[in-house]
Amino acid sequence: MLSWKAGLRFMPQEQSKPLDLKMAEDIATKLQNYRTAPFDARFPNQNQTRNCFYNYLDYHRCQKSLDAKGVDTAPCDWYKRVYKSLCPMSWIQKWDDQRAEGTFPGKI
Amino acid sequence: MAHQAHAYHMVDPSPWPLTGAIAALLLTSGTAIWFHFHSLVLVTAGMILLILTMIQWWRDIIREGTFQGHHTPPVQKGLRYGMILFITSEVFFFLGFFWAFYHSSLAPTPELGGCWPPTGIITLDPFEVPLLNTAVLLASGVTVTWAHHSIMEGERKQAIQSLTLTILLGFYFTFLQAMEYYEAPFTIADGVYGSTFFVATGFHGLHVIIGSTFLAVCLLRQIQYHFTSQHHFGFEAAAWYWHFVDVVWLFLYVSIYWWGS
Repeated sequence: MLSWKAGLRFMPQEQSKPLDLKMAEDIATKLQNYRTAPFDARFPNQNQTRNCFYNYLDYHRCQKSLDAKGVDTAPCDWYKRVYKSLCPMSWIQKWDDQRAEGTFPGKI
Repeated sequence: MAHQAHAYHMVDPSPWPLTGAIAALLLTSGTAIWFHFHSLVLVTAGMILLILTMIQWWRDIIREGTFQGHHTPPVQKGLRYGMILFITSEVFFFLGFFWAFYHSSLAPTPELGGCWPPTGIITLDPFEVPLLNTAVLLASGVTVTWAHHSIMEGERKQAIQSLTLTILLGFYFTFLQAMEYYEAPFTIADGVYGSTFFVATGFHGLHVIIGSTFLAVCLLRQIQYHFTSQHHFGFEAAAWYWHFVDVVWLFLYVSIYWWGS
């Protein structure tokens, strides 16, 4: 179902720039303005375990796939900020150790 | 001479409830002793006493009903209610294990890799032996219904044949499941997957064995002319139990073997 917001795509916002340059600028601004993990509607309840875990997974998946393409991995830092804000340090330590050992159960 | 002026069965004094209770005590305390002190004496004594209690108690019920005529229609109605309530309690028993399975599989924790089946678990192919097992139990449901109709129609030979076939299918299921257990690439100790799988299917297998035994007793009774075309509640109770076992398997198959793979 088409909402009125779809039209915003065609509004002239700035002088046209290449899309990846705009995205990199957007992410850089987002990272600069980062204070803490924002509300994520995928995880609305009190138990935020999944929020922490998925961002940890997404960071490492992002790293892996952008590395494989030989592209700058800066966009991945968003996920890193989020999981660093949310996850207990002991979990991050345990998962990092597991990844080093090859026993991390998540799919990266 | 005094005689009862009602159709109900006032049971004669019997030692089996007491021996059953003693068996329960020996089994529970025996299990604790086995866990802590490695002795199987109490638990073995409990098992023997339990089996003797069951044999003699149910033998007495057969004597009271079949040979002495105490199972009048109201008494039979009570027995029907009793069997239905017992099977209902068994439904709740299995419900607990399904709850446990869905609790762990619908929201898999990071320790499992956030996925189901958990990372590292090689599941059984639901379209191999488990599907055959489903066919075997469904077929046994058909044969037990055939047996029932044979009994109601006074077809002695067919009743014996179909009941025998039902029991053989039950044994085939048990044999196939035993093979699966032996060959499975995971054990009960393999995380929550192993626990939920083997506890749920294990209790189901135990119920298949119990149901097969119940049907076997019915076969012996049918051969010995205990059942009439109008009155054969022991057989009906066994058939209800057998259908219950079949239904539990269907839920197990769809939930654990198929969806959970």
